[in-house]
Amino acid sequence: MASIPATGDARILLPSQITKDAVIYVRALVAHPMYTGMSRDEHGKLIPEFYIKNVDVTYGGERVARFEWTSGISRDPYVAFPLRATREGPLTITWTDNEGSVYTQTATIAFHA
Amino acid sequence: MIDDRSRSRRSFVQSAGLAVAALMLGARGAHAASTWGLHADGPGPDDMPDAAKKVLKEHFGERPIKDGHVSLDLPEVAPDSREVPIFIETDLPMAPHNYVKAIHLIVDHNPDIYVAGYALTPAMGKASIDTRIKMRRSSQVRAIIETSAGELWWSHKLVYTTLNGCV
Repeated sequence: MASIPATGDARILLPSQITKDAVIYVRALVAHPMYTGMSRDEHGKLIPEFYIKNVDVTYGGERVARFEWTSGISRDPYVAFPLRATREGPLTITWTDNEGSVYTQTATIAFHA
Repeated sequence: MIDDRSRSRRSFVQSAGLAVAALMLGARGAHAASTWGLHADGPGPDDMPDAAKKVLKEHFGERPIKDGHVSLDLPEVAPDSREVPIFIETDLPMAPHNYVKAIHLIVDHNPDIYVAGYALTPAMGKASIDTRIKMRRSSQVRAIIETSAGELWWSHKLVYTTLNGCV
């Protein structure tokens, strides 16, 4: 049975076949409640704001994108963006939330023979 | 002769069909506005509230924002306002010295009007963002593209919602 993802569990999805210099779409998911600070729990108590604030994308050690988010991004944030696959190497995404927790995931870009 | 008549009949049927489609769309729009335009006496979802104007000013000052180059793919009616899919794309180049520096996302009637900012680099090869956002109520959703030369381009779309998705 699949386990329920914990906050910060992250996945990066790459195309199954990548050719050199092609623009690919990178899809990334992270499990996070993204509370706005405006909703209440079952006891009527306000749930404090808790959301991903920054996302860093590095490719072969070089930063290629940086996202600034608010709690207006949906729960378990999904993002897809293009990337030109110029070389083989690691693609790392780092998500940082407003409480300072850092979640990281890495996928390897490798060319199809 | 027969050919001419059948052709004109066909074009009549086509234009009549278009007219009916236009009427239906119009009726649908009006219905949507009366059902989901939340406050009859308050500002409509189409007007840009002062708070949203302020956010624009904070981020872009007095710089002009021009229409064009931004394609915004959003549902007309969001079935779930906690997860509204949005796809922003542009035909602007991603060359080393002429590229899309950032994509900004603004929802006029959200508590956090500036929903997200995406800083991009030419290494991406193209400029687009696909994500899911929350919406508090029916509102204009705006995507603003900032180029490395400092130009600003935008596009906006009115999205009708049914429930408050800001949870």
